[in-house]
Amino acid sequence: MRPVLRILRHAAYAEWRYLCHTPLFVALAVTQAVTLIVLVSLFGITGAMAPTALVNHDGGPYAAQFIRNLRAAHHSFALRSDLDHLRAEAALAHGQLVAIITIPSGFSYAMTHHGGAQIIRVDVDNIDTDMTEDIQRALPSAITAFGRDIHAADIRVQVREHDLLPRDTGYIPYLVVSALVLAALVIAGILAGTMVAREFEAGTAVLLRLSPAPVLLPLLGRLLATMGVSALALGVAAGVVVIGYHLTPLYPLQLAAVLVACLVIFSLLGAALGAVVRRTLPVTSLIFGLALPLYLVSGAYEPQRFDGPLVWAVAHLSPMYYAVGIAEHAVHGFMVTPESLPLNYLALCAWAALALLVAWRATRGMVPS
Amino acid sequence: MTIAVQFTDVCCRLKGREVLRRVSFATPCGAIEGVLGPNGAGKSTLLSLVNGLRTRFDGTLTVLGERLPARGGALRRRLGVVLQETALYEELTGAENLHFAAALYGAPRERVAEVLALLQLRERADDPVHILSGGMRRRLAIARALLHDPELLVIDEPTLGVDVEARHAIWEHLRLLKSQGRTVLVATNYLDEALALCDSVLVLRDGVLVTRETPAALMERTGYCLEVACADAHVAGLVEILGALPAVLAIDRTATGLSVFLTSDAAPEPIMRAILDRAPVEGMRQRAPDLAEIFAALDTPL
Repeated sequence: MRPVLRILRHAAYAEWRYLCHTPLFVALAVTQAVTLIVLVSLFGITGAMAPTALVNHDGGPYAAQFIRNLRAAHHSFALRSDLDHLRAEAALAHGQLVAIITIPSGFSYAMTHHGGAQIIRVDVDNIDTDMTEDIQRALPSAITAFGRDIHAADIRVQVREHDLLPRDTGYIPYLVVSALVLAALVIAGILAGTMVAREFEAGTAVLLRLSPAPVLLPLLGRLLATMGVSALALGVAAGVVVIGYHLTPLYPLQLAAVLVACLVIFSLLGAALGAVVRRTLPVTSLIFGLALPLYLVSGAYEPQRFDGPLVWAVAHLSPMYYAVGIAEHAVHGFMVTPESLPLNYLALCAWAALALLVAWRATRGMVPS
Repeated sequence: MTIAVQFTDVCCRLKGREVLRRVSFATPCGAIEGVLGPNGAGKSTLLSLVNGLRTRFDGTLTVLGERLPARGGALRRRLGVVLQETALYEELTGAENLHFAAALYGAPRERVAEVLALLQLRERADDPVHILSGGMRRRLAIARALLHDPELLVIDEPTLGVDVEARHAIWEHLRLLKSQGRTVLVATNYLDEALALCDSVLVLRDGVLVTRETPAALMERTGYCLEVACADAHVAGLVEILGALPAVLAIDRTATGLSVFLTSDAAPEPIMRAILDRAPVEGMRQRAPDLAEIFAALDTPL
């Protein structure tokens, strides 16, 4: 055991010295974890908040209540109240708005005296149908809430909403949790992949190949150092999620466990890719190239079972699917996978074992070209 | 006599090309065996078969009594390997590189200080490798190969890119290893290196073992060379008188004068005196023959 620990210690120290020699690389790795969180947040901002003008010709108490209900409508509208109808129409024509909601004059009076028989005009830009549908989905929801709040007897929107969870989860809070898993893949994969590829570029792979110790052993030692940096990067990213996005994990230990599992799995897979590709630049591009499709198919944008059986089945092939499932549960308390939590953990453990086997196979025959 | 390395009809193909063809030889334990040949002759391939980096070949190859390809790390513990590329971690110090290698080979920590002293690297042990000179890196690579006290040392181009002083220091270390009973297999491009170090020399060309001789026998065939720099006008006269001397094996005209090949046992002074008596010369230099000259003497010109 002591010779093994000696190799791990010296190898980890060697990698640590390399990382100390390249502080910019380490700083970029840590920054990258945060920029990935910001990146997916930007997806969420542009995808979830439709810029909508609100033209209020009424000004009465019911109009004010209706506006409050619109603002609370599930992160759907980015409402602008600063435009009159003409300027709003011009903005809509120039693509600066998705919709205009116009509350007619006499709205509050009509609600009081005629039981709410009023027409609310909605002009919608249908260039981006996704956003158009967001508006169409969110409006009935807002009107329903409005009717409930004013105790109106005759609101005729036929939408029923049944919340599965005690609290709403915004789109961005959902996204940033899965982005932590994406960050783990990118950072751990690249640090490990470039570490192994560097052994080939520097010609030191041959030293490992010639030594009597199994090649993977010193590489595991070096991986300990890269995983240390990856853990630092993920810690900073998780801090940004907690402090910057005001998200307190319901099960912090569970979140820590899944992130550590991701570090191990993605480091080992990155090392295997590094041994196959043998060049730092291509291995970096490859990991980036693999990360985004794996991320998108993992249920990062919504629970993956909504995307049809084929995509759902494919998602099961990636460790990200299980990791995202556990991470969302750890932070928000809900399950996005139909598989149970223990089953997801089991799948990650199996992936860790498989990743170790793949890394061992890929590095075993590390003969310099 | 125990055999350290034995090749029997070994053939090796690389990307469809035959890089070693039916090579057979046996190196006894405690000897320094030189492998001489031009670039692409198969020297590095021969060495990589011995050190285990290449495992696909035909024929029979035995190293330290173990038939290759060997399984497990037992044979690797008995081999010390120095490659053309020094394969050192640039960001680590010399001592740190050695400690890492010592861990890989299970060598005791104290060996690091010993090999640093042996290779006279103690004063620069704490300098990062990237600031060390080519000669020091080479010595460090040799020190690393000696950490686990190997029975067989396999060295590719031990003095590649090092200055004269470092070259002689490295030769001295290799002779010391021989005196300690270790076997050394050394590939080189230089005959003078083979002459200075080796008990016998394998001469390879296009993957074929052209000959295996002692350096002295090889010198007997090629002789040594006296380069004479003189004006064109005097060349014909010098050729005439030198051609008549029994110690002169061959004369080549060069851009600056003549290359005169003398038998290995010939004393150079009488020849030099004869040249100076005949014509004013700008300079004379005695040197070992180069590879082209060796192959010409072996009747297989490059």
